[in-house]
Amino acid sequence: MLAVFVGCGRNERMDALYAQRCFNCHGATGHGDGPLAVALPVRPPDFRDTVQKKSNSQIRKAITEGAGVMPAFGPVLSAAEINDMLQMVRFLSREGRDLAWWEKFDTLIVAHCSVPWETVLGYDQPPAQDEP
Amino acid sequence: MIAIPGRVSKLSVCLVLLALFSPAESATHDHAQQFKTERRKVRIPVKDFKLIDQNGKPFELENLSRKVLVISFSYTSCADVCPLITAAARQVQSGLTASERANVHLLTITTDPEIDSPRILAAYAKRYGAEFSNWSFLTGPEVALKKVWKNFGVRVSRKGRGIVEHTPLTAVMDRQRQLRFVYIGPSPDPMVILADMRALLAER
Repeated sequence: MLAVFVGCGRNERMDALYAQRCFNCHGATGHGDGPLAVALPVRPPDFRDTVQKKSNSQIRKAITEGAGVMPAFGPVLSAAEINDMLQMVRFLSREGRDLAWWEKFDTLIVAHCSVPWETVLGYDQPPAQDEP
Repeated sequence: MIAIPGRVSKLSVCLVLLALFSPAESATHDHAQQFKTERRKVRIPVKDFKLIDQNGKPFELENLSRKVLVISFSYTSCADVCPLITAAARQVQSGLTASERANVHLLTITTDPEIDSPRILAAYAKRYGAEFSNWSFLTGPEVALKKVWKNFGVRVSRKGRGIVEHTPLTAVMDRQRQLRFVYIGPSPDPMVILADMRALLAER
């Protein structure tokens, strides 16, 4: 989906979520070098190597259901938070690209960021109440 | 009850600060300090308890009498040291011989019953490759779990949805239902646990 394929960059909400749930293993830049990484049985991946090869649904599945020793965040995060985490992962995976690569997508990024995606996707709506 | 200092979140803060401000040349030494886990010999009787396992079935400690138990406390959405603790338990299970498997049982007891249903615990266990023949993942009503946590000296403090501070405890219990070894810290050594467990198996 376009909404999560092209992110609008980092915001404080994404940073806070990443610091709380991801930093310890994945590290500040997503290189897989967080303070716990050295003690894990499998070193976390460098997002620059792995995330570009994965679809959003694959990344969302890993975040929601966990993977190996990575926790499953589906039971504790909202859909909006999972979306933020996905965008943060995408963002970190693109760090290091040269400016010319980004400039190709300027028009698309500006168009995308002008859309109120949270409203369009219903993430800012209260959850539906079950019928009694 | 045993008094065990230190909580996961304090440790986490220390890990972050160390990672950010330590010079690169001392990284090896720092890592050793960060993951230091204290081993203590103790003799603490454990009261019987009833909880629910990963299949949703009742679990009673008394049914594992005459077995040596390796017990750890974790919760499934923990993005702190729980993955290290559960991974160490998995290595302990892998290191058991066929005859030891019949006499040793592992328990992982949740510190977050709000989230950790039997189904979520089962999925967590599978991600670690746990074999359920001698490893149970336990949850239950908070009132029952609080008694267990207290009996083991595990302090638990919920900070938010899926964020829980708790004492990072792994312990080995003998066949007379006494805690004999406790490991307090993020990275208990599976080889040390196996050696301690074997010493208890050899006791008559």
